Amino acid sequence: MSGTIRHRPRRRIADRHVAWVFLTPFLIVYVAFLVYPFFKGLWISLHHWNLLAVAMNPDAAKWVGLRNYTHLMWGRGIVWGPLSHPLVQLFALAVAVGAGLLHRAGRTNRSFMITLIVAGALVFFLLGFTPGEGGRWFDRRFWPTVGNTILFVALAAPGTTIAALLLAAALNRETKMMAVFRSIFFLSQVLSVTVVTLIWQIMFSPTQGLIANVTRIFGGSPISWLTDERFAMIAIVITTIWWSLGIAMILFLAGMQDISAEIYEAAALDNARGWKAFWYITLPNLKRTITLVVVLQIILHFQVFGQSHLMTQGGPDDRTQVLVRYIYQTAFRDSEIGRAAAMAMFLFVIMAVFSALQFFIAREGEE
Amino acid sequence: MTARQRSYIWLCIGLSIPAFVWLLPTLWMVSLSFQPNGVLARTTASTALGLVPVPFTAANYAKLFAFGETPRWFFNSLVVAVGMTLGVLVVSTTAGYALARLEFRFKKTVMIFILLGLMVPEQAVFLPLYTMFADLRWHNSYGALMLPRIAVPIGVFLMMQFFKAIPKDIEEAARIDGVGPFRIFWHIMLPLARPAMMTLAILTFLYAWNDYLWPLVSASQKTMFTITLGLASMQSNFAQSEGLGRVMASGVIASLPVVILFLIFQRYVVQAMTVGGSKG
Repeated sequence: MSGTIRHRPRRRIADRHVAWVFLTPFLIVYVAFLVYPFFKGLWISLHHWNLLAVAMNPDAAKWVGLRNYTHLMWGRGIVWGPLSHPLVQLFALAVAVGAGLLHRAGRTNRSFMITLIVAGALVFFLLGFTPGEGGRWFDRRFWPTVGNTILFVALAAPGTTIAALLLAAALNRETKMMAVFRSIFFLSQVLSVTVVTLIWQIMFSPTQGLIANVTRIFGGSPISWLTDERFAMIAIVITTIWWSLGIAMILFLAGMQDISAEIYEAAALDNARGWKAFWYITLPNLKRTITLVVVLQIILHFQVFGQSHLMTQGGPDDRTQVLVRYIYQTAFRDSEIGRAAAMAMFLFVIMAVFSALQFFIAREGEE
Repeated sequence: MTARQRSYIWLCIGLSIPAFVWLLPTLWMVSLSFQPNGVLARTTASTALGLVPVPFTAANYAKLFAFGETPRWFFNSLVVAVGMTLGVLVVSTTAGYALARLEFRFKKTVMIFILLGLMVPEQAVFLPLYTMFADLRWHNSYGALMLPRIAVPIGVFLMMQFFKAIPKDIEEAARIDGVGPFRIFWHIMLPLARPAMMTLAILTFLYAWNDYLWPLVSASQKTMFTITLGLASMQSNFAQSEGLGRVMASGVIASLPVVILFLIFQRYVVQAMTVGGSKG
């Protein structure tokens, strides 16, 4: 290497000029293809903007202020009540209060508790809105779609986290065999969403599917997983867990490496092995990693699109319609890109909240 | 045999069941891709639930390459993934180096400006990007497929973290010797950064190869499909026109590059995907 560096005395270029030369290529693409589009998206969301009409005539976009947002989220004769969705609302309230009590008892870390309290209170408040007598939502599909997305996240995120945690605990040994197992569980993660959905569509097929074939051997009648409204959501959740378990597992394994072996040895003297050690040592020491993984899974799964778009087409009866698919359809099937952009902004705000949360959790760990 | 060894063996046996179940769907896809379409139309469970490709045929693959669009899509994916990877490497190493090692005014502002971009998901910008490229009549081109992802700041962030961790004295010594900043970057910093660049390259390649939403929106002509998108277009009419075996063969072909990458560079792939998953 030293041969290639020649000594050539010359006037030094100041750092600050060099820095801008180095930064320029990235800044150009960044501003052109991320910053500008972001603000343009905001701009579009404030217009009545039909994709086809505007393509023909750029003046066809009409400023409507926040009307796209009210059209999505509001309706005629909306009223608020503490018991509009009694079950979910009471559950959310219980979570918030429970979290507050737990925090006072000093059982858990602070940011996590505050998050739970805020989330619980928010859900309690927001779910209180409902169309009153003779009223209705302007967009009947929006809130059910958000609900489906949340349900999907509520199933896929804990499902992935728990499965990954158990696997990581079992695989946390430095042997060849365990490395092979780790690779097997990670492998599905590198496949694309279209390959994953292709495989699982056929797995779930009531006529050709592997699951149906196995069911028949045991004399059962196959389930139409993807077209039965009781099972469609479960089916795409199973697919998703199969696909996205790997990263969570690796993050847990990394977290477990940081727990010192001495603690386990000390515990083994007190006869705490296996499940006991997992429960009393591994879990408490992994608190931060678990929070991080859950938040990551929430961010990831909130953006679900392919599973719903390719496997169930949002059906049956909109049961698996999710937010990104609704955005896609509103923009490219209905050409209502203004309204779709408003939905995208809604998605962005939720994502931003969770990204900020993730950032703070990660920071907390570094201190 | 000690109790500990015995429990380890039981653990291995116990784990091999979920591991086998986990592998089943993938194995089944590979097995189906080697069975004749005529047979598959009747049953997918010919031998051992269809997990063993008997009766065997390689015709699905032969047909795939003889006609149809799969080779073209595969080629498009390669161009896009390699191009995007190179692009990301160039802009991220340079910007990351500047932010980590050079002093200039507004450095903090620039850094925050770039890091804020990590919060913007693809789904929040794909609509305006669509209209931008449409206005420029730029859709259905490699540039349109590549550029939006090059603008994502995760790579800059990754390289910046890496360059920050390199001890300052190597660079100082070169400076005192009168080596200019560009040559320091090229001859000293880049060689040191190889592992980080490798991680970033794999992260980008996997993303480019597997991306679905943006190609779906941007590439409307079949000749500009990536293999990931092409596979989705085959799914909608699989059993009828193409034949199940052939669709499965496409699935195998579409996964081959990423699976090979995974098997060869496992450590980097795992690292890349964890970084990608946790930061962007």
